Amino acid sequence: MLTIALSKGRLAEKAIVLLENAGYDCTAAKDESRKLILEDEKAGLRFIMAKPADVPTYVEYGAADIGFVGKDTLLEEGRDLYEVADLGFGKCRMCVAGPVDLKDGKLDLIPNKRIATKYPNITRAYFEGVKKESVEIIKLNGSIELAPLIGLADCIVDIVESGRTLKENGLDVIETVADISARVVVNRVSMKMKSSEIKPMIEKIKEQIALL
Amino acid sequence: MIDAKFYTADGFTDTLPGICAFKKQTERKLEELFRLHGYSQIETPGIEYLDIYSRPGFVPEQNLYKMTDQKGRLLALRYDGTIPAVRYAAGIKDFDPASLPLRLCYIENMFRFADSGGGKQNEFTQAGVELMGADGADADAEVIALAIKSALSAGIKDLQISIGQVRLYDGIAKQVGLGDTDREVIRNAISSRDTVTIEKTSDQLGLDKNQKELLLMLPDAQGTYDIIDAFRAKVTEKEALDALDNLKDILDALDEQGFLKYVSVDSGLLGGSIDYYTGVIFKGYTYEVGFPIISGGRYDNTVAVFGRQMGCVGFSLSLTLTLTALLRQGVSMNETPCDVVIGFKNGFRGKAYEEAKKLRDEGLAVIIDTTGKSKDELNEYAGKQGIGRALYVEGE
Repeated sequence: MLTIALSKGRLAEKAIVLLENAGYDCTAAKDESRKLILEDEKAGLRFIMAKPADVPTYVEYGAADIGFVGKDTLLEEGRDLYEVADLGFGKCRMCVAGPVDLKDGKLDLIPNKRIATKYPNITRAYFEGVKKESVEIIKLNGSIELAPLIGLADCIVDIVESGRTLKENGLDVIETVADISARVVVNRVSMKMKSSEIKPMIEKIKEQIALL
Repeated sequence: MIDAKFYTADGFTDTLPGICAFKKQTERKLEELFRLHGYSQIETPGIEYLDIYSRPGFVPEQNLYKMTDQKGRLLALRYDGTIPAVRYAAGIKDFDPASLPLRLCYIENMFRFADSGGGKQNEFTQAGVELMGADGADADAEVIALAIKSALSAGIKDLQISIGQVRLYDGIAKQVGLGDTDREVIRNAISSRDTVTIEKTSDQLGLDKNQKELLLMLPDAQGTYDIIDAFRAKVTEKEALDALDNLKDILDALDEQGFLKYVSVDSGLLGGSIDYYTGVIFKGYTYEVGFPIISGGRYDNTVAVFGRQMGCVGFSLSLTLTLTALLRQGVSMNETPCDVVIGFKNGFRGKAYEEAKKLRDEGLAVIIDTTGKSKDELNEYAGKQGIGRALYVEGE
C-alpha cells in the first residue's frame, strides 16, 4: 500500500489525471466527499488530501510515501526529501515585484528594504544568500500586492503566473527568484523499503511527463 | 506550588514504564554485543566546549544547544557520540600507535534542535561504535556488520542497509571535469535524487552523452555487484575506481557473514556535509519510521582537525527511532507486572522479608505490601494488577 499526499485543489486534479494515464486506478481519489483519507485497497493506493504547505511535512515524516507539491512549497519548507520528478505543470515564477519605477536596478538602491511575502524563508535565502544584503521581512498571508501600495513594504516576493494582478495594481516583476512547477517528492525511507512499488510508479510518471 | 508545569519542554518527552524497560533491556543487549566485538564503552560529558563541535563541516551550529559556564565560555550539550570520541582519541597522552585501532562504543542521549536523528525529537538515545586508526575495507565491513547485528539484536526484522562511497562521486566529478560550484550543485541534486537538475546542469555545461549518463546513474543506481560493474565499465578516474574496489571488498566481507541480503549499494548516498565523510557511507532503514535508524561512514580527516591523523569509521543506531519502529510494527512493550506480591499478618513482617529475599534470589520480582492488606484484599489486588501470585504470611 502506497500513501500519496496531494495538495488540495487544481494540483490534485492534475496529479490524479496523470496517475490515471500512468495506469493507476484513482477512483478513490475522485470521491467528491469531504473525506480526508481516500483508500482503494484493490489498487493498493491511499490518498490523503492535505493543505499544500503540509505535503512536504507528511512525506518527510513518512506519513505519506509520495507527495505531489509545488516547488514554491518545497523551497519554503526546506524539508529533507527526494525530489524525483518535475511534472511540468503548475508553472509559474517566484518573483520580486514592486512599483514599476523600481525596475532597471532602482530596487538595489534602497537600503534595508522592507519586503512583504508569504514566503519568508525563500525571501531570506534570496536576499541574504544571492543578493548579499540585509532586508526586513514582513510575513503576510494573502493579497501581498497590497503591501507596497499601502506603504507597508517597498516590494514583495510572491508567485507570479500571468502578472495580471500585479499590472492591475500598478506593480510589475522586478526580478525572478526561481522557476516554479509541480514536483513529485518521495520519503527517503519509503524509497528503500517500498522501492518495488515506488520505482515503477516514478518511471511511469516520468513517461507521462514526457508525453505532456 | 503555583503555576506548576505538568508538561515537558518542547521537543522532549518521557520514556514511560514498559517502553523504558524494553529500552534498557535493548541497551544491555547492545552493550554485550559491543563488548563481544572488543569495543570498550566510554562515557563522555553531557556538556562539551562549543568549539569542539563548531569546526567547519562538523555540525550545523544552529542545531546545537548552547550555554555558557560561569566564566562565560561557550558550551554545547552532547550532540553526537563521534566528535567527543574524536576529541578523546586525539588527546590521549601516552598514545601508542601500536595499540591502534581503538575500538570505542557508547550509548548516550544526544541533544539537537529539530534534527531527524530522533525523528524530530530534541533528545534521543544513540548507541554507536567508533573504530579509530583503521583503514581499509575490512574495517569498514566490521562496522557495517556490527550495525546490522545491532539492529537485529534490538529486534528489527525488516532491515535495509544502503551503502555508498563519497569518493565515487568525487572521482566522477573529476572525470567529467566539474568546477567547484557545479560539483556542489550536482552533488546536492544527486542527494535529493533530483534528476531534472542534473540534466539541466549537464546540458548547460555542454557535457557529452556519456558524461551525462554517468552523472544520471549516480542517483538511480541500486543493487549490489551489478552496480559496481556498471560503474566500472564507465569510470576511468583512479579515485572512483578505488571507491568501487572498496565497495566490492566490503560486499565480499559482508557476504562471508551472510549479511548480503540486508545490503544494497546506493551510489546516490553522499552525506549531508561536504567534507565530513571521506569514504564509505551507509544508512539503515526499516518500516514504519520515515527516518533512517542507522547512520555511519568513514571520516578520515576528523581526528586530524584535533592534531592527530587517524583513519576512522563508525556508526550510530537511534534507539529512540528503533523503539518507535518496533512499537508501530506491533511489538508489545507493555509494563510487565511483578511476579509475586507478599502481604503479612501483624507480627510477621520479618518472615515476609525472608520469603521475599528467597524469591528475589530466584530471580522473581517481588513487592511487599505496605498498606496492611488482609489476605482477601491481597488476593483481589494481585488479581486486578495481573500479579501472578499472592503470598500472605500469617504463620511460621
